[in-house]
Amino acid sequence: MQQVMGSEGSSVVVPRNFRLLEELERGEKGIGDGTVSYGMDDADDVYMQSWTGTIIGPPNTVHEGRIYQLKLFCGKDYPEKAPGVRFQTRINMSCVDRETGLVEPSLFPMLADWQREYTMEDLLTQLKKEMMSPQNRKLAQPPEGNEGGRVNQKGLMLKCCIL
Amino acid sequence: MGAEGESIVSGGSIGGVEEVTVNIRCSNGSKFSVRTILSSMVGAFKALLAQNCDVPAEQQRLIYKGRILKDDQTLDSYGLQANHTIHMVRGSAPAGSSPAAATTNTGNPTITPSVALGGGSNEGGGFGGNGLGASLYPGLGFGALGGTGASGLLGAGLPEFEQVQQQLTQNPNMMREIMNMPAIQNLMNNPDLMRSMMMNNPQMREIIDRNPELAHILNDPGILRQTLEAARNPELMREMMRNTDRAMSNIESSPEGFNMLRRMYENVQEPFLNATTMGGGIGNDVGSNPFAALLGNHVGGAQTTDGSNSPSTTGSETTTAATAPNANPLPNPWSGTGGGSQANTTTRSNPTGDAGAPGIGGLAGLALPELGNTFGMLDPSVMSQILQNPAISQMMQSLFSNPQYMNQILGSNPQLRSMLDLNPQLREMMQNPEILRQLTSPETMQQMMALQQPLAQLNRQQSTGEPAQTGGTTGTQNNMGLELLMNMFGGLGAGGLTVPNTPDVPPEELYATQLSQLQEMGFFDTQENIRALRATSGNVHAAVERLLGNPNQ
Repeated sequence: MQQVMGSEGSSVVVPRNFRLLEELERGEKGIGDGTVSYGMDDADDVYMQSWTGTIIGPPNTVHEGRIYQLKLFCGKDYPEKAPGVRFQTRINMSCVDRETGLVEPSLFPMLADWQREYTMEDLLTQLKKEMMSPQNRKLAQPPEGNEGGRVNQKGLMLKCCIL
Repeated sequence: MGAEGESIVSGGSIGGVEEVTVNIRCSNGSKFSVRTILSSMVGAFKALLAQNCDVPAEQQRLIYKGRILKDDQTLDSYGLQANHTIHMVRGSAPAGSSPAAATTNTGNPTITPSVALGGGSNEGGGFGGNGLGASLYPGLGFGALGGTGASGLLGAGLPEFEQVQQQLTQNPNMMREIMNMPAIQNLMNNPDLMRSMMMNNPQMREIIDRNPELAHILNDPGILRQTLEAARNPELMREMMRNTDRAMSNIESSPEGFNMLRRMYENVQEPFLNATTMGGGIGNDVGSNPFAALLGNHVGGAQTTDGSNSPSTTGSETTTAATAPNANPLPNPWSGTGGGSQANTTTRSNPTGDAGAPGIGGLAGLALPELGNTFGMLDPSVMSQILQNPAISQMMQSLFSNPQYMNQILGSNPQLRSMLDLNPQLREMMQNPEILRQLTSPETMQQMMALQQPLAQLNRQQSTGEPAQTGGTTGTQNNMGLELLMNMFGGLGAGGLTVPNTPDVPPEELYATQLSQLQEMGFFDTQENIRALRATSGNVHAAVERLLGNPNQ
């Protein structure tokens, strides 16, 4: 009986929405190692595509005490395919495009070899580990104090409209 | 069990606002819980947390769902619910030592030029500088520095000044953010966006409601695009302006034509101005004389001495101060082809004081308020002579390229200074020679002139049409309004300059998203799609209409 259950469990594929709801709950409840945080941008988005993540700079690196904000985009084929990850806070890091903040999948193995078991939390944690790596922990960083330095166009438009 | 839990919760409720438990997770791994109401402000919540941990409220940085909580928001605005977890990080002490921290500090306006320069070139790069330049231009000549600055940034200069001013003075970060955005370029390039911006201004909407013809103009992406295109291209601009001039003189020569022009001025221009200046936050500054006097003294005053001796001192300063050499030789921006052709057109329409018009147009680019003073007082021929003098243009240039001198001017006016103190960013802008250099480039000048000259003409016609004909009183009043409009257009002109590269973008790239949308709708002919998108400046709906063979819609 148990064996049957086990084999069934491994063959059952968790649908996208359940998976994302699970991740949403973990993010809200703060389950995990507590150094990354993430949540959905718009609670009304039925497709649960746009997410915001935060990485707290790991200690004993140049990133210590900094808070890095990221945008994660889960396409319709998540978790089969990796989400798009983009740093909103400016960061100097080997796998991150300096201008756009995009995490280059080719330079970040976790994105390149994405497995459906990986979660956004894993992704953020891995990025945090990457910050602690020898090539990144001492890289000079742009001055702090420009969270949201990269504002997407929609935000800009809104802002201008408000003005 | 369940009932018990419920009773606890309801026991904690006060007047329908329930207290909930929120978990706090510190970056060092420790955890604790607090009870709070979700409608409380983040700032108050931090104070509550400070009682429960050793991190003072001002050092707390709270993160929930990947977002950093801001003090002036409520907890439930972030969607916080019972038993959710907020992460807390101990931030650095408020008195940061980094240059970025120094520049963000509003309370401390003593920013050395070097810091300002570093901050300016750090993020926005060349583009940021350009954007600033656009805003500085009208701002410099005019009282409402913050407001007009922003309008320059926004290109058309149509948002409400009051709000802009308030936002910017209260929140220098916002200004900085706007400047740092490379996306501003896209904004300038997207007539659709511009239109939505205009439509979002309630006063603008009112004007449009009252004047359907105007609505047509603003709703026509083609015209908007043309305007932007023109702002970008000085040649085109001159061409357009000449056409307008000609049309104007034609109208004028027909019976009742002049009155029509005047009515147009009253019906359209004035509400326009009202929309842009309505209840300006620093109301007294609108067209106030201190500024006119300021620049009139420094610029105009020096000019009336014919600029023979005074430029020599400033000129020598330039050689040391102009670290970024002007790529374009700038002997005399006002005697260029633009000025010449304009002088011709004005002669036709109004023989009196024609020499003054281009001169005023050109000067207005540099010191708009002076217009108000000089218009009635200064002899036009003297004016044009002054402006034809290369020494003057040199002096102007040196004035703008020398940060110290600029500072001196800015510092000598108390009102201006207080404004700068409120806006450290503005000060940075003023102190950046790169920006100033861009401002004084001949292209910018000519654009400004081309834009302002017909306006000056219109205004002159208006003032001569007044029955009193005193020119001194009515004229200056009109000039007040004219200055505003000129600022607006000045912003447009300079704003257009900030996107010099974009016309080179291939349409496939420019309209990539729209193209894919059209593809999805089943329009597979890419070339046809591009043509339609071009004609509608990227408006997908209009493009579809067009593709369906209904080009008028």
